[in-house]
Amino acid sequence: MKSKDILFNGILKENPTLVLILGTCPTLAVTTQASNGLGMGLATMAVLICSNIAISLLRNIIPDKVRIPCYIVFISGFVIIVGLVMEAFVPSLYDALGLYLDLIVVNCIILGRAEMFASKNTVFHSMLDGIGMGIGFTLALLMMGSIREILGSGTWFGLTIIPSSISPIAIMMLAPGGFFVYGCLIALVNTIIRKRGGTPVDKSNGCMGCASFDACRAAGTASEKGGCC
Amino acid sequence: MFEAYILPVLIVVGVGLAAGVMLMLAAKFMAVEVDERVEKVRACLPGANCGGCGYAGCDDYAAHIVSGEAPLTACPPGGTAVAQAIGAVLGQEVGEMVPMVAVVNCSATKDQAVHPMDYIGRKGCLAASLLYNGDMACQFGCLGYGDCVDACKYDAIHVVDGLARVDKDLCTGCGACSVVCPHNVISINPHAAHVVVACSNTDKGAQTRKKCSTGCIGCKKCEKQCEYDAIKVINNLAVIDFDKCTSCGKCVDVCPQHVIENCFKGAVAGPAEDEAVAAEA
Amino acid sequence: MNNTVFFLALLMETILVSNVVLAQFLGICPFLGVSRKLDSAIGMGVAVIFVLLLATAVTWPIYTYLLYPKFAYLQTLVFILVIAALVQLVEIFLARFVPALYKSLGIYLPLITTNCAVLGVTINCIDFEYNFVTSLVYAFGIGVGFLLAMVLFAGVRSRIDESGIPQSFRGMPITLIAASIVSMAFMGFSGIATGIFGISI
Repeated sequence: MKSKDILFNGILKENPTLVLILGTCPTLAVTTQASNGLGMGLATMAVLICSNIAISLLRNIIPDKVRIPCYIVFISGFVIIVGLVMEAFVPSLYDALGLYLDLIVVNCIILGRAEMFASKNTVFHSMLDGIGMGIGFTLALLMMGSIREILGSGTWFGLTIIPSSISPIAIMMLAPGGFFVYGCLIALVNTIIRKRGGTPVDKSNGCMGCASFDACRAAGTASEKGGCC
Repeated sequence: MFEAYILPVLIVVGVGLAAGVMLMLAAKFMAVEVDERVEKVRACLPGANCGGCGYAGCDDYAAHIVSGEAPLTACPPGGTAVAQAIGAVLGQEVGEMVPMVAVVNCSATKDQAVHPMDYIGRKGCLAASLLYNGDMACQFGCLGYGDCVDACKYDAIHVVDGLARVDKDLCTGCGACSVVCPHNVISINPHAAHVVVACSNTDKGAQTRKKCSTGCIGCKKCEKQCEYDAIKVINNLAVIDFDKCTSCGKCVDVCPQHVIENCFKGAVAGPAEDEAVAAEA
Repeated sequence: MNNTVFFLALLMETILVSNVVLAQFLGICPFLGVSRKLDSAIGMGVAVIFVLLLATAVTWPIYTYLLYPKFAYLQTLVFILVIAALVQLVEIFLARFVPALYKSLGIYLPLITTNCAVLGVTINCIDFEYNFVTSLVYAFGIGVGFLLAMVLFAGVRSRIDESGIPQSFRGMPITLIAASIVSMAFMGFSGIATGIFGISI
């Protein structure tokens, strides 16, 4: 595979959020504002790149049986570092993201890429994969955040877009709006994929579309009906 | 120095080590012994998870066989061959199994049964039967919405013209269709039995006539005709005792309603019927 | 403050008002993945309650007596380690001693490790400065809320499966929009705990 393909794979063809439907929790929770979405995306990207590099470096050393716990320890280490850096330099964003910053640890995108890509590929390629997937995730979050912020409060990155005489759709900022915008975005992406002659991944059909499918199947817990996270 | 740099590392290492040792000990002392024979028995089974044995799938059945709680001969799709293969694994003798087949005890097509209403709800037998026991006047017949078709793992049952029909060659007698049928119209009969009563209606004759042009009216002509005492009208419905029936087919000829069917003849006529269906399509 | 009333208010708040899935967006993956069938939804929900209670019972003392205050930043790392090991241990224990329970919950257990609801709740208990008992009540409420959302949504999804959906919306998109409507329904509960018990949580 060419380096360029790896880089762009994550941005468009296998966009983790909109095509593979991974990392749904932060996608829904922090995208009330475009800036929060961007910050969350960049934080996740930083962790993703670091963990991909580290895991790829150690891929021949880590024993197969304990690889998942090892990955989790690495990832949570990087999450702590990113959290401390953000607390020091962008405290307002750190407060806005709150709990969800810690929860990057259990973001399926990161563990999924570690399992599916970094543990099988060279350091350089893993880094590119991390950058590509990170950009894809960031763009998706930025898009979600922009739509919700513009519709929900009439502003974008704090700038007033819609005049205050038109009252905004406040529910877009609340939980139902998150689910709604995400559903519509995925529907849009599915339409585009179908127009270009592809078949969208249907994660609701059991475990097939999941990043951890291989790991689950090895553990004997994956099923066609879906049996896991 | 120690507190800022070494202690946190020690804490993480300590927690990790404690967890690891704990898990290792747990795995060692609390390990569940997996009986090898379960795997071997499981390998003998067809693996369709049809539930015909009465257990939750082939894995469960294999576990119950090994623990001695289930008979070796409970797998209808596998039949004698599988029972003997399991017997070989466990070192037990197995006798012959009677092969079974599903029979739809109803012969009324969409035009033959009276439908007092148009059902336009969700297409499914269970859903239809929840509304006044189905859209047919007869409360016992095949509704023809195909819950059994969905239940069948072997593609052996299909709805043709509003009536479920079983393909005897593909049917394994697992009974999955029989379980889901809300009108209990499908019975599991010995494969060797050629003559069956294709009706389940226990209404009195006069009422049956009003509801269906091909229902058993309990006239007892078959009972009188039978030389082997094998067919009896019980509760206004002819019932065949398969232990006594010789499949001579005399009752088939005398039935005024044509509800007693000779499946053997039907099987011969089967391909012709398929062609007719294909021609229609 | 009367403890019983406070606990009741806390339970109502966590189950209905700030439901873990529908208002806090934790545990979305299993919510969308396992809610296809009612029995698996119940299985997953019960397993989550079980693990939440255990994880909270173990992580709270670890944080309070081992990490706090100097090594509070190790929280995430230590918690996820402990939760992973704990879930594994419970799995081994159940397989050995309570095989019936293992059969019904076993397949869900290993996958709960990376369920963000578990890590989220244990961290929240610390952030909200709850004491040990309150933490357990909070964890239980969150778990029941998760179970409730799963069971309700399993019903919604069985209706979705029967409907004619525009092609682009089939699968995940319509599921998310249904979740949006269920979530909107839960917004109707806001303020109920304060209204009934007169306490703001």
